[in-house]
Amino acid sequence: MSPTIFYSLSIVLVVFSLLVVLCKNPLHSALFLALAMIDLAFIFFELKAPFIAAVQLMVYAGAVMVMFVMVLMLFDLKEDEESAFSGNPVINVFKFLSAGLLCWAISSKLFSYGDVAGLGAGKEFDIKALGTTLYTKYIFAFEALGLLLLLIAVGAVALSRTKGGTHDS
Amino acid sequence: MIASTITLHHCLFLSILIFSIGAFGVLVRKNIIVILMGIELMLNAVNLSFVSFGYFNSSLDGQLMSFFVMTVAAAEAGVGLALAVTVFKKFKKIDIKLFETLRD
Repeated sequence: MSPTIFYSLSIVLVVFSLLVVLCKNPLHSALFLALAMIDLAFIFFELKAPFIAAVQLMVYAGAVMVMFVMVLMLFDLKEDEESAFSGNPVINVFKFLSAGLLCWAISSKLFSYGDVAGLGAGKEFDIKALGTTLYTKYIFAFEALGLLLLLIAVGAVALSRTKGGTHDS
Repeated sequence: MIASTITLHHCLFLSILIFSIGAFGVLVRKNIIVILMGIELMLNAVNLSFVSFGYFNSSLDGQLMSFFVMTVAAAEAGVGLALAVTVFKKFKKIDIKLFETLRD
């Protein structure tokens, strides 16, 4: 993978992720989240995982983001804009510091390991190998995921089945 | 810091950075939907670390794990949004504080 491509994609990804968190309008957050996911799909493509990149584009940037935006459209967004962040600014500074501490704690452990480059990097797998592994080695996980999705579909309908709409007509 | 080749460390550091940004969003935001977006960011960071581990070890398992994570994340977003709709129907607001009254 070329360093130039990786660095530019990384910078764009970090900027979009920060904008997701910091934008006051939730719709703008949703837009930047979709852009960050598309950017991440490019990174997956660069990491020679084209199937995962395609699934990322379809499932995340397509389906999940459409779901987010449609639910946002149900809500009244106007009143939340001035109080988008919880707590007072001092507490938020401490929250930022704790997130930075999390980042520092994991990455200091990471950089204490030696250089691990070139462990046969760059081998590309075709989709046939992916499907074969999915249906042999991971068949139980695959079936369990199917059951989970069925439960989720039933549960989501049961949760939002209560009478009345989101707005008084 | 600017290296000529991309190693596993670079990918993992990017993943940690995105995870921390998502965690910060979960901590600091009030809107339930934006909190769910922060969780999605964190799951995406985990996906990135799985795929890069798979890439640098020439293994297929990383890609499959990230496939499973994506499915679970989509399911989680569905349930979270259903809960948000339920809370909004009752209180006409989507504040995370209202989740403490979810029982009734």
